[in-house]
Amino acid sequence: MSLIELARKTVEDARKLGAEEATVSVSRSSELSLVRRAGKLEQATQATSRGLSLSLLVDDRFSVHSTSDLRPEAVSVFLERAIAATRVLEPEPERRQPALSLCGRGASEEELDAVDASYGSLTVEARRTAAEALEAAVEALPNRKRVLSATMYVGDSSDESVRVMSNGFEGVRSSTGFGAGVEMTLEEPGGRRPEATAWYSALHRDDLPTNAFIAAEAWEKAEQRLGSKPAPSGRYPMLLENRVAGRILGVIAGPLSGSELHQQRSFLAGRLNSVIANTSLTITDIPNIRRGLASRPWDGDALVARPMPIVEAGVLKNYYISTYYARKLGVEATTGGRSNWVVGAGARSPEAILRDVSKCIVVTGFLGGNSNGLTGDFSFGVHGLLVEHGKVVGHVGEMNVSGNIEEVLGHLVEPANDVWTWSSVRSPSLFFDEVQFSGT
Amino acid sequence: MTHFSSFGIDEALCRRVLSAALSRGADDADLYFEHSGSTSVALSDGKVNRASTHVDLGVGVRVVVGDQVGYAYTEDLTEASIIQAARVAAEIASGTRATAPVALTERRLADRYPATLPWEGVDLETRVRLVRDWEQRVFKEDPRVIRVETSIGDSFRHILVARPDGRLVYDYQPMTRGFVVCTAQDGEKRESSNANLAQRAGLEFYDEERVSRMCHKAVADTMLLFEAVKSPAGEMTVVLGAGSSGILLHEAIGHGLEADFNRKGISIFADRVGTRIAPPGVTVVDDGTIPHARGTINNDDEGNAAQRSVLVEDGVLRGFLHDEISAKHYGVAPTGSGRRESFRHVVLPRMRSTYMESGTMPPEEIIASVQNGIYCADFANGQVQIGAGDFAFYVRRGYLIENGKLTRPIKDVNLIGNGPDVLATIEMVGNDLKIDEGGWTCGKDGQSVPVSQGMPTVKVSKLSVGGASA
Repeated sequence: MSLIELARKTVEDARKLGAEEATVSVSRSSELSLVRRAGKLEQATQATSRGLSLSLLVDDRFSVHSTSDLRPEAVSVFLERAIAATRVLEPEPERRQPALSLCGRGASEEELDAVDASYGSLTVEARRTAAEALEAAVEALPNRKRVLSATMYVGDSSDESVRVMSNGFEGVRSSTGFGAGVEMTLEEPGGRRPEATAWYSALHRDDLPTNAFIAAEAWEKAEQRLGSKPAPSGRYPMLLENRVAGRILGVIAGPLSGSELHQQRSFLAGRLNSVIANTSLTITDIPNIRRGLASRPWDGDALVARPMPIVEAGVLKNYYISTYYARKLGVEATTGGRSNWVVGAGARSPEAILRDVSKCIVVTGFLGGNSNGLTGDFSFGVHGLLVEHGKVVGHVGEMNVSGNIEEVLGHLVEPANDVWTWSSVRSPSLFFDEVQFSGT
Repeated sequence: MTHFSSFGIDEALCRRVLSAALSRGADDADLYFEHSGSTSVALSDGKVNRASTHVDLGVGVRVVVGDQVGYAYTEDLTEASIIQAARVAAEIASGTRATAPVALTERRLADRYPATLPWEGVDLETRVRLVRDWEQRVFKEDPRVIRVETSIGDSFRHILVARPDGRLVYDYQPMTRGFVVCTAQDGEKRESSNANLAQRAGLEFYDEERVSRMCHKAVADTMLLFEAVKSPAGEMTVVLGAGSSGILLHEAIGHGLEADFNRKGISIFADRVGTRIAPPGVTVVDDGTIPHARGTINNDDEGNAAQRSVLVEDGVLRGFLHDEISAKHYGVAPTGSGRRESFRHVVLPRMRSTYMESGTMPPEEIIASVQNGIYCADFANGQVQIGAGDFAFYVRRGYLIENGKLTRPIKDVNLIGNGPDVLATIEMVGNDLKIDEGGWTCGKDGQSVPVSQGMPTVKVSKLSVGGASA
């Protein structure tokens, strides 16, 4: 049975067994990953996997189920149990599916371009060669004196999924994925062994950077950790590096969600169209970026995926509201979850910004930390560079950056022009004029 | 009785698959059959309005050549499909010397989590009644409670590990977790906190004492947050409360002692076995044998018996946590620490229940010895860089210590330090070891496994606190 046939049959069977509504997704994926270290292949993993997931509405009662046991007799036992389980719950009509007219594709397969056509002809031998080439690039680095260990990762995947809903929606999605990375550990006098990873993923193989680029970045990132120590506690200007900007911006993601608004656990409740950040901050949710890592034709409810402003010149423009929470909150649904976040860029390079600052901490990585969605307070471990007038004067680590996200975003005075496209958060480096750091 | 039939396989098939796995001259191989299931029921908005079930079935085939691993898995338990997986995994090897597996005899190595009332025999209505009861208890605790969410999740896992040396180890691993979230309003202010309980046990786990403790804690912690002030920032003396403070050990030393990192020389502890890394009186254990604990296993996922492994004895580093590959590398016996998230994942050395043994100090005296500092009571999450040794953990709730007394509550602060530095500055160890009953989950290389942690009250002279102002 093909994926779509299995999905259609399961929806039909669920209806026959008494479900008013059913949504069935069936997926199949292949993965291959290789790890090399010290001149040999250390690990090779390969598999083809499959699964079925199902959500049901039975007498207005809602439940979700999944299984990887797709033998026909097992699927029918699974379905009967799922329907019986649903009947013992309490009714919640807000769980009903959206109208078919709201569902569908926001961007064509050609526009999303999520499948690399060369995937099918990729041999295991070619992948082994790619991992060897990445290791060769690490060995060709000019300065390897301090390298204790380097581990190379190369992997790819192919996913195909279908979704069939009892409201008449049917959709098929396919994508490929490629990843390459180097993890490097250096030796430091005194026994510390600072490590760093350069990791890249892309939907098309040709979008990955060159091996030399990945190797050089792993070295550079690890080198920046050598001799790191905490700077004195205090308020400093902060340049937040583009590739890790999502960690700070992500503090507002939870409080933007319908579930947190509905549970009265969001500091952003009632703040639509009010200022929550400096005018320099603009964040847009864009689901139809060609080859975007979080691009999608429809969202989790099968609603047509459309670009949506989140923050416009510092003003909050939209929440993430699924069909269910829209009904609970009595508002229009937007979408239940994030796709790609695109953060507005400025005019200057990070180097140009740093040249004008007498003393600044450049945050290049995070360690632990969390935030409180009710207050917006956060506290994260950080490491990075101490920079004076554009010149690196020290490596910092074992420090925390803390504050209230709304107050901190108020200090985001200038985004740089270096948008990072290797992530679902496409942000430039962000310059804040004053942020609380704790160290010694 | 054997458990082949529950996977629709037999002994002869396992031997044929192992033969295929060894056909290119590998040193070793294993088959890991897994059948798991989970059920959860959740309440929000005053309604028991969501249920979910999950079923997973499959086999992973691992082929080992020295420290090289070939791995493949399939959810299709037909012979053709499993043999195909074995052939793919075998590609890591390149020889021709094939070994024949010997006859497989099934064993179960221990019985550390028998369930009096196993979840398979508990109907959904019982779970519905439980989450409803917890909701009512939370509302009754305090009139300021405005929202309550409760949920119960339970799961089981049947595993069967087959090895070419004739070992066939079966285990049945139950787990349950109860969760309560309380949101309250006091004037204009709103606060929220949660509490949870987890164990390898059946329905009997939710006795009156535990349930009332969980519900009370969720409410009491929430109310305390109304009084909370911002934490100070910078380096200061930190007292870690008994119980979930074990997260410090998990991050500061536990990961750094997982032997895969040490075998590769990338842990800060790699060359320190036999040396002093903490003051006398500090003994750290990783234990897979505590009855019913969330991190407990009868056997690990390579079929080795779980052990109680002393990592640090009276301040001296004694050894690492091993799977078979690292044990062979170091020429020691495996510690029963080879774990995996599921049949889709390779085995890695992992923690089980990590704790520090009790010392001699009464906890009150430890607090009384601190002029100015903070006391940490409740934790959310942590992380470590195993090479640099820097680690962090997030404190949801604690107190200021002023003149030897706990004074105002504090909340939401990240603590950061360097593992070896912090271990060396442990000043006092309390006499009150407590293994936390929370639902802790550890992540490594993209794999999640259940763990436990414990700690007596401990005083550390210097940690960097990510508070509001210096």
